[in-house]
Amino acid sequence: MTKQAPGVRIDGLTVVYKTPAGELPAVRGVSLELPPGSITGIVGESGSGKSTLALSLLNAVQPPGRISAGSVDIDGLGDVVGLAGEQLRKARGRHIGYVFQAAQNSLNPLKTVGKQLLDLGRSHGVEDLRGLVREAKDLLGRMGLDGARVLDSHQHELSGGMRQRVGIMLALVLNAHLVVLDEPTTALDMITQANILKIVREVHDERGLTTLVITHDIGVVAEVADRLAVMYGGRLVEQGPTREVLASPEHPYTRGLIRAIPRLVGDIDEAQALPGRPPTLATVPKRGCVFRERCALRMDVCDDVDPEAILRGRRTVACHAVAVKEHA
Amino acid sequence: MITGTGVVKTYKQRGKVLGAREVQALRGVDFAIPKGGAASFIGESGCGKTTLGRIIAGLETYDGGEVAIDGVSMTELKPKQRQPHFRKIQMIHQDPYSALNPTRTIHQTLYAPLSLRAKQTGRPASWIEGRATEVLSLVGLDPATVLSRYPHQLSGGMRQRVVIARALTVDPEMLVADEAVSMIDVSLRLGILALLKDLRERLGVSVLFITHDVATARYIGDDGELYVIYRGQVVERGPVDTIIADPVHPYTQSLLSAIPVLHGLEQPGEHPVMPLESLNESQSDEGCLFARRCPFRAERCTTERPLLRITEAAPQEHACFYPERRSVIARPMEV
Repeated sequence: MTKQAPGVRIDGLTVVYKTPAGELPAVRGVSLELPPGSITGIVGESGSGKSTLALSLLNAVQPPGRISAGSVDIDGLGDVVGLAGEQLRKARGRHIGYVFQAAQNSLNPLKTVGKQLLDLGRSHGVEDLRGLVREAKDLLGRMGLDGARVLDSHQHELSGGMRQRVGIMLALVLNAHLVVLDEPTTALDMITQANILKIVREVHDERGLTTLVITHDIGVVAEVADRLAVMYGGRLVEQGPTREVLASPEHPYTRGLIRAIPRLVGDIDEAQALPGRPPTLATVPKRGCVFRERCALRMDVCDDVDPEAILRGRRTVACHAVAVKEHA
Repeated sequence: MITGTGVVKTYKQRGKVLGAREVQALRGVDFAIPKGGAASFIGESGCGKTTLGRIIAGLETYDGGEVAIDGVSMTELKPKQRQPHFRKIQMIHQDPYSALNPTRTIHQTLYAPLSLRAKQTGRPASWIEGRATEVLSLVGLDPATVLSRYPHQLSGGMRQRVVIARALTVDPEMLVADEAVSMIDVSLRLGILALLKDLRERLGVSVLFITHDVATARYIGDDGELYVIYRGQVVERGPVDTIIADPVHPYTQSLLSAIPVLHGLEQPGEHPVMPLESLNESQSDEGCLFARRCPFRAERCTTERPLLRITEAAPQEHACFYPERRSVIARPMEV
């Protein structure tokens, strides 16, 4: 059975968290399309809502959070927001693979990787468990590991980079064609990061996947993604083809973020930190543009009206100042 | 001034099955960080850079060689006698979330070391409050709003500034920053790096910066020295900009090649170097330590270990028999 890389259409997605101060949106009115066979990178700082958005793809936002509006339409699955119970459980793993931050606690420390693989197979009703193990070994071998050894290992016997590869293997072994990687290289050193990114790219091409990478590091997206989406304060502020966005960022936040990256070459003073700090759930403005507090192009209208995402060419930007400049 | 000569550190592991094993974390490292100067240690995880930083900060012992602070050797001193020397060197940890006591306000956090310092220097208790305000202003925080807060009420960047302020309470001569920006939001990282540079200029404290991200090492000062560490050995050492522009050791070249290229803004270097395999501590110690992973290894590399020295190939020190310049780092796109 060959499956096609599915397309994903997120439309007007809003996710709220219940707090003592009422329900506050972590993700607000986000629309994003993942074209079949593409790698999309979502970049954002802490509290930008990027991880919440990723979990919404699995309809796995945990209480006190809930998806309050919008839809996530995945080819072959339909709107996952409407799925529940057994249907949802089957979709996770079979159709959507999720790679959690590896260094954290995504593997069971008491079981070998192989046992966890068998658990995964059984819970999804895989009949040919030997086949599953063979597939897992192939995948690990493909990523430069000794499959047999890794399957017999406990989590603590593996290095950070190896665990990350185990995570990718577990996400792919059930033949999922939509893969979400949450901070795939955080806490890994540069050489390991470069290796993992190369593997992500290669596996993506070989197996025909639709991939979503969530990260705080623009460099990671620049290295692997075809498309780049920037999130800030729960809003998607800019999206477009990676190279275009990097070469000529339009939203003031994207511009500031790119300018804030320490670089190997060029003038040291050119790199500048963004003034202010990212908003948290409680401090995100309820009205107007979420970025205005830190924005150099702030206008009166930004205080009251939330800028709409406007599509121009292949780029979507949500900013009043950019829209005005365009009309002038 | 803090200097080290031939510093050796060996960790002993007790194996259940195979008996004891020894891991050489440092194999005779020399370093010198002048007063007010800057140095950066870079390398992969497990290369020994953090161990070296902890030895310098007095948090770890060493088994061989010598560490001297302002000319006083630490090797012969008893722990109690070392204490006043190591006060001059303060550590800033990677994770500001766990480095601060969550049940104490910032005021309480700063008060404890300050009252100790007041006692040591014979200052009155009234000096403490003023000094607390002063160190917070030094790190760019507003004392009026921050003093009464708890750590969870501050952002990551602000917390890291508090950690730096706390280090400053004891009048250090050197700050050891171990991956001090890797857990800070990207848009705020440069702010912390600029602060470290600023403290060097204003207070004359030296900064030792430990990181795996070479690019950040540039931002604490262009007069800094870069130490590239591999398996407990310095393999290349020299001014930051020289090494970044013209690395000659294949390991340094792999580290620099691994930095993501911002496609659209930059074009990749012409000859990126990728190590042949990943770091494996159990590889044999014979010959050049990097030989097994080196794409350019020759016969000689597997039997003989190169020493850190300067050759005609490059002005910086390097430990390689066949140093060669390669264009590995990304260049800005020509517009």
